[in-house]
Formats: sequence, C-alpha cells, structure tokens
Amino acid sequence: MPSVFRPNSLFTYLSVAATALGLSSCELIEFSPNDHRSPDDKQALTTKNLTALLAKPLPARDTLRFVYTGDSQRFYDDAEDLVKSVNQQKGVQFMLVAGDISDFGMAREMWWVDDQLRKLTIPYLTVIGNHDQVGNGRKAYEEVFGPLNYSFTYGDTKFIMTDTNGREYNFNGRIPDVSWVRQQLQDNTVRRHVIVSHVPPQDEDFDPAVREAYVGALREDPRLVFEMNGHRHDFSIGQPFNDGVTYVNSYAFEKRQYLIVTVWGDKEFRLKQVSF
Amino acid sequence: MASHLLLAVLLASPLVAVAQEQLANQTSSPSLLGRHQKYPMPANGDKKPWYRPRHVVLQTGGGIGMIAAGVGYGLGKDRNELDILLGYVPTKYAGSSLSIATAKYTYSPFVLPVGERWQVRPLTIGGYISYTHGTINDEEKGQYAKGYYWFSTDTRVGPVLGSRLAYQRRTREGQTRNISFYYELGSNDLYILSYVQNRKALSVGDILTLSLGLKADF
Repeated sequence: MPSVFRPNSLFTYLSVAATALGLSSCELIEFSPNDHRSPDDKQALTTKNLTALLAKPLPARDTLRFVYTGDSQRFYDDAEDLVKSVNQQKGVQFMLVAGDISDFGMAREMWWVDDQLRKLTIPYLTVIGNHDQVGNGRKAYEEVFGPLNYSFTYGDTKFIMTDTNGREYNFNGRIPDVSWVRQQLQDNTVRRHVIVSHVPPQDEDFDPAVREAYVGALREDPRLVFEMNGHRHDFSIGQPFNDGVTYVNSYAFEKRQYLIVTVWGDKEFRLKQVSF
Repeated sequence: MASHLLLAVLLASPLVAVAQEQLANQTSSPSLLGRHQKYPMPANGDKKPWYRPRHVVLQTGGGIGMIAAGVGYGLGKDRNELDILLGYVPTKYAGSSLSIATAKYTYSPFVLPVGERWQVRPLTIGGYISYTHGTINDEEKGQYAKGYYWFSTDTRVGPVLGSRLAYQRRTREGQTRNISFYYELGSNDLYILSYVQNRKALSVGDILTLSLGLKADF
C-alpha cells in the first residue's frame, strides 16, 4: 500500500480503500463486534428464504427432498465447497442448517456464512444454535435471520424450528418452549411434522428440567416423522429414548459431508450421505 | 451501573498515576510509569507534569463504541501515543447497552508539515485492547464447562493502521496545540483468526473495521 505514504492521499486513501473493498461505511464503522446493524440484503433472511421457497410450492403428495447439514461456524472455505456440491444435486427443494451458523455469535460471522450460502440455487433455512447465542448473538440472529422459534409448511410437511439451547439460558426451565412446540404439533391440517433444533434432548446442554416434557410431546405426536439436530458435528440416527421417535443428527460443515433427506408416504424416509 | 464504575476508574487513573509517581520517588525504583518522566515532555516547550494527559480523544467505530471518548498521552516526541477511551453502544444497535473500555497505543513514524499550520502523519500503526461490559449472554460462573468457549466474549485485541491530519493552533501564550482528525482501519483477534483459516472464502475487506476520530491537545 504505497499510497499510504503520500501525504496528500489522506482522504482519497480512505474512500478508495472503502469502495475498493466493496463495503459501505455503515458496515465498516462497526460500533462493537456485537453491533448487529446489517445491510439490507443481510436482514430477515428467514423470511426472504421462505418467500423464495414458497414461490415454488410442492404439490400435495409429491416427494419431499432437502439437504440436511449443520454447524457452519468458522468453516467458510468448507461452506464454499458445500455450496458447489449441493448445486450439483437434482431434485432437492431446499437446505436446512441445524444451528451454530456462527462461532462467536457475531452478525459479521452470520453474513460470512450467508455470503456462501446465498450462492445456492435453492433457498436455505436455519435454526438457532448455542454458538449463535454467545454475547449478544441472540439479537444478531434475530436481525440477520429472524425468530428463534418459527414454523413453515412445505407440501405435506410442517417444519417446526425451535431453540433448544437450554444451557445458554442457564437452564431456566423455559427452553425449549414446550407449550409453543405442543401448539405447533397440534396442527392436524398437514400430513407430517418434522422438528428441527440444535441441541438434541439427550445432550447435556439440553435443559434436564424440560427434557421429559419435550420428549413426551414428540412421543405423543402421530404425525412426527423425526426430530433433527446438530451440535454433535457428526451424523447419527437412532431412537435414544426407545420410544419410537427417531432422532437424526447432522454432519458439521467441517466433516465435508451432508445428508439428502427424502420423505414420502406418511412417514417413509431415506437418507443419503454425500461427501464433498 | 457498570458504566459508572468504568467511568470512576477512568477518572481515578490520574490519581493512581500520582500515587505511583510518589511511590516511585520514595523507592527510586524505575517503575514503568515513573520512567515516562525522563521523556522530554512537551514537544512545544511548555512544562507540564508527566501524568497530565496531553490530549482529549473522540472516536466513532473501530469496534470500541458508537461514541468513545477519553484522554491520551504523547510519548517520545509525540510519535507514540497511548489513549484511554470509554465507549458506548446503545441497545438499538447491539441488543443491549454496552460500555467498552479501551487502551490504544499508536506510533506515527513520519510527521510531514504542510504549509505553516498543517501537518500530516501519513502512517499510524498500533494496537488496542478492549473490554466490553453489558453483553446479554455473558459467561456466568458455572454456566459452561471449562474451555466450552475457548475465546473471551468480552476482551478483544487488534491492530490498527491509519493516517492523521493536524491543524496547529496557537494559544494566547504562543504555545502550539494540535487539533487532528484521524482514521484507522482495524480488526480484532477473532476476525483475523477467521480470515487466516479461510483465505479462500474470506477477504481482508470482510474483517476490516473503520474508525474516525478527533484529537485535541490541551
């Protein structure tokens, strides 16, 4: 940067540097790493991605197919490769990221993941993870993505996305919000339910005071296909509570693998592992 | 409450410095602060006690506040400066009201006069350490197992690089006092780590922050 040494370049250097880097002064003048002010295209991503998804509705009884992954954290280079791989897949309708979008709960980290994932040819949706709640991350997540609990229906399936990061709330007995989850599960206008959350209920970071109520609500739901989690950075599938409810854990981005989930019939499904 | 505490600490720091000076004189041990006395204090000839700040600072951005204000010391012909700042970010922008205490050290090797009254410092390099108080999900005692989050959520360190333009005004006594405008591009430990590990997906621009500030000698 030789221009730095030229005395008359003081102001020009500043503006040239800012524009050359393609950043607006608003983004550059960061008040704190916890500052969550985001450019227009990095706000309300959940709503924007849902709008994109629902613009291509899935007809009733059509097979549902989506990519399942989680824990993008600081694996930006891996994210770039994951996007290239997913874009080769035919017939997938969207991608789910099972939390820990960021590592330090900072808005910039969420932007960096979106910088990669917005190159997907399909929309992606997220649920909040424990790392997304570090510091003021909960507020950053709300700003960049949206609500911590939300649901959407695509084709015959209702996806219930919920915050299960109990340890981040010092196990206050209110996370996950079981009454909200129950209310969502009561929706019998759809054929199937799928719950997606970050921390699995058998994990030590799940609030033990709420575990029984949550697992019980799932057990009683006749429409539930499975519960999906991240947090553990590796794929697993099983019935940890031996109650007929299947739990699927995602690969983290760093594992350079993801799942393609195909769902049909009442509760039929198939998982395909893809390496990239 | 916390911001009041920090403010009190800042206000008390010159007093601490006085106490340390006396202690240093009594024991004649060359403490770090005591040693500063040896510098030829004012570049412009007037005598002031070493512990009196040389300038006031007002800054925005750089990760240390929407507004950060404080005082600073010039060391070694004013080419080295140590600024102590207290920053504030309102809830609206960060989710909670934050107070950020910062110590920043800068070095400007070149001082170029432009005309009679103006002066440019084309290069300022330095670093800062900041401590943020008031985050929502602060690590509480016993909340996490040791090393659960290996990084500090509140303490950040980072480099800065910038330039400065100064105007020399004269006091009635004929002494010169600088009023300067500066900018600094900076980053922090966590952003730098992210970039170093992801050179393909991230660019230097992604991890930069900008600060704009004013310094006035008094």
